[in-house]
Amino acid sequence: MGRTTERRTRGRGVAALAVVVPLLLTGVAACGSDSGGGGGDVTITFVWWGSDGRANLTKKAVELFQRKNPKIKVQTSFSAYAAYWEKLATQTAGGKPPDVLNVDSRYLAEYGGRNVLADLNSGAGKAISLADVNPELAATGVYQGKRYAVPWAQNTPAMIYDAAAFMAAGADPAKGMTWDQFADAARKAGAAGTARGVTDFGILDTTLEIWLRQQGKQFYTPEGKLGFTGDDLRRYWELAGKFRDTKAASPADVTASYNTSPEQAPLGKKLTSSEFAYDNLLPAYQKANGKPLNVAPYPSGADGDTGQYRRPSMFLSVSARSQQQEAAAKLVDFLVNDPEVGKIVGTDRGLAPNLKVRAQLAATATGNDKTLYDYEAALEPKLGAAPPVPPKGAGAIQKLLQRTYEEVAFGRMSVDDAVNRFMTEAQKGLS
Amino acid sequence: MTTLRTPDPPVAPPASATRVRRRDRPVGRRRKSQPEAFAFLTPWLLGAVALTVGPMVVSLYLSFTDYDLFTSPKWVGFGNFAHMFGGDDRYLQSVKVTLIYVLVSVPLKLAVSLLVAMLLNTRRSANGFYRAAFYAPSLLGASVAAALVWRALFMGGGPVNELLAFFGWHTPSWVDDPQFSLASIVLLGVWQFGAPMVIFLAGLKQIPAELHEAAAIDGAGAFRRFRHITLPMLSPVIFFNLVMEAIHAFQAFTPAFVIGGGRGGPADADLFYTLYLFEVGFQDFRMGYASAMAWVLLVVIAIVTAIVFRTAKLWVFYDDAEDKK
Repeated sequence: MGRTTERRTRGRGVAALAVVVPLLLTGVAACGSDSGGGGGDVTITFVWWGSDGRANLTKKAVELFQRKNPKIKVQTSFSAYAAYWEKLATQTAGGKPPDVLNVDSRYLAEYGGRNVLADLNSGAGKAISLADVNPELAATGVYQGKRYAVPWAQNTPAMIYDAAAFMAAGADPAKGMTWDQFADAARKAGAAGTARGVTDFGILDTTLEIWLRQQGKQFYTPEGKLGFTGDDLRRYWELAGKFRDTKAASPADVTASYNTSPEQAPLGKKLTSSEFAYDNLLPAYQKANGKPLNVAPYPSGADGDTGQYRRPSMFLSVSARSQQQEAAAKLVDFLVNDPEVGKIVGTDRGLAPNLKVRAQLAATATGNDKTLYDYEAALEPKLGAAPPVPPKGAGAIQKLLQRTYEEVAFGRMSVDDAVNRFMTEAQKGLS
Repeated sequence: MTTLRTPDPPVAPPASATRVRRRDRPVGRRRKSQPEAFAFLTPWLLGAVALTVGPMVVSLYLSFTDYDLFTSPKWVGFGNFAHMFGGDDRYLQSVKVTLIYVLVSVPLKLAVSLLVAMLLNTRRSANGFYRAAFYAPSLLGASVAAALVWRALFMGGGPVNELLAFFGWHTPSWVDDPQFSLASIVLLGVWQFGAPMVIFLAGLKQIPAELHEAAAIDGAGAFRRFRHITLPMLSPVIFFNLVMEAIHAFQAFTPAFVIGGGRGGPADADLFYTLYLFEVGFQDFRMGYASAMAWVLLVVIAIVTAIVFRTAKLWVFYDDAEDKK
C-alpha cells in the first residue's frame, strides 16, 4: 500500500514538473526574442564609458544615425571607466558582447589579442573610411597586423593649471618650461595659497611615459616588455620626491585620493593648482575647480623636447562575435567621419579624428573648445607618433605604479624597495 | 519554560529540541506531502541548480585552470593554489586585511550591539523609537550609499577631520591614509549593529526576571548579575550572532570597494579578500585564479564555523535539560 501511494504521488509530482518547467522555459524564451525578425530591421548594441554629459552628446549623435539609417536600431548604454571594463569583461565572457564598443589603448591588446574584436581590415570593416584620418593616429588601432580599432578622437597628454596661481608665482606654463623651472613655480604657487602646486605625479603612468619619452625611452617596447629599467623609475620617483619634499606636490593622503575622474581629482577639488592629465579634460576640470584653468605642454628636459604625442583618446571597435557586422561598421564609420557628429560631440573626447571635420570645427570653435584647438594646433608640428600598443596586462600596471608609489609617499617603503617591487610585479604581470 | 522558546527563532536553535519534534511527527504523512512539495519547489530548485549549484561546480573546475574569460580554460592542476601561498604578496596582504577586519570588527560589533540592547531592555516609553533609530543603519546594510556617506565623513576636510582638529588632533584624510583607512571601514561595520542588537534584545527579554531578582536579593551587584546570569542565559544568542557576523565579515566587500576607491585603498590598506578576488577575476582577466580564491575562502569559512561550533560546547548554555521533563 505504502509503495503504491508513493508511486502515485511521485507520478503526480512529475506531472506537476511537466507543467511548471515548460511554463518557465517559455517565459525565458519570450524574454530573449524581441530583437530578431521584422522586415530587414536590425538592432545593434553600442556601449561607451564616461559621464552623463558625454552620454547626452553621444545619444544625440546616435539619434542622428538612426534618422539617417531607419533600418538600424541602436541600443546604447554607458558606465564609468572602471565599471565599464568590469561589465564588458562579464558580457564578453557570457558570450554576449556589445556589437560596437568603446576601447582604450590600455585594453586593446587584451581584447584584440584574444579575438574578441573584429579585424576591420577585412569583411564588413572595410566600409569604414580612414582616408581623412592622420595616418599615424590611424595606425594606433593596429595590433599584430590586424586593425582591431579605429580612433574615435585625438587628445594629447597635457598639464592643466590654475593660470592665476602660476602667474602669481611668476611663471607662464603655456610658454613651456623645464622641469626645474616647473618645480620652482609649483613650490612658490603652493607656498602662496592653501592649494599645493601640483598633484603628485609619481602615481601617474602617463606622466612617467612622457618623462621617459623626453629621454628617448619608452614605457613599453613593441614586443610588449617594459621599455625602462629600475634605475629610470628610481630617478623618476626621486624627481617626484623633490616636489613632495619641497611641498610643491600634494601630501600623500591627497595623492591617494586621486582617481581618474576630474571631479574627484585633487585639482578638481581645489587641493592643488595643477595636474597632469589630457587636454580634452580641461572643461571637466574647469567645471569642478571653478577658477579659470588653462592647458600647457609638459615641462621638458634641457633640450626642450616635451615628449608629447598624438594620442588616440579612445577607440571604436566591432565585436568579432557580432551578428550585425555591417550595421556595426556603418555606425563606426558614421561616428568617425560625419561632420554633423563632429559638431554634436565637440571636443568632449578630444579632437575629431577626421581632419576635414576637425578643420571645419576649429574655424568656428569658441571658449574651451577654442583653447583646445589652439593648443593642439600649436603643438602639432612637435607631436611625435604614438607609442606601440601597450601589451596585455597594461591596465594592471597602471594600478601597480600607483600602489607602489603610495608606499613611498606615505614613507612606508624606501624608493629602492618600491622600485624593486614594481619591477618584479610588472615583469610577472607582463609575461 | 517552554514558552521561552516559541517567539524568537534565534533563541530556538536548541538543535535537540527540533530534532525531537521532527521525530514525533507521523512518518507516513510526511512522505505523502513530499512530491507536491517538490513540485511547488521546482522554481526554487531550478534556480538553486541553475544559479547556485551549477556555477559552483563550474567554478570548482575553473579553479584548476588558467581562464582569461575569453578563450577556453587551460588545466593547470593545483597551480593556482600553489601561487596563492607562494609568490603572491597581494594575496597574503588581502588575507591579512581580512583577518584583521574579522578579528576586530566582529567582537567590537557584538559588544556594542549587546551594550545597546541592554540599554534598550528597559520599560521606557520611548523605547520603540530608540529601537527603530538604532536599527535603521542596518537597513542600509551593505549599501553603496552608506559607504559613500562614510567616505565623505572621513575624508580630508570632512566632518570627522574638522571635529578632531577642533579638539587638537590633526589627522590626515582617514579614508586615504593607510594607517586609518581600515579603521574607518571597521567603524562602518560596527555602526551597522542593528541586526545582532535586535536579536540580543529578544534574547534579553527571555531571561526570567526572577533570576535577577533572586540574585539581587542574595547581594549580587550589576556586574556579577551580568557575568553570571545574563551572559550564560544569553550564550546561545551570542553564539548565533558570532557565527553570523563572522561569516558576514569574511565576505565584506561593498564598504571596502567604495571607501577604498574601488582599488584596495591607499597602498592596499583596504585590500579585502573579496575585493582582491573581484579585481583578479574581472579586471585582470584571471578567472581561474579568482575561482580558486573563492574556494579557499569557502573552505576557510567552513573551518572557522566548525571550530566555533566545536567550542560551543564549552561556553554555550542551553537550559534544555529541565525542559524535556
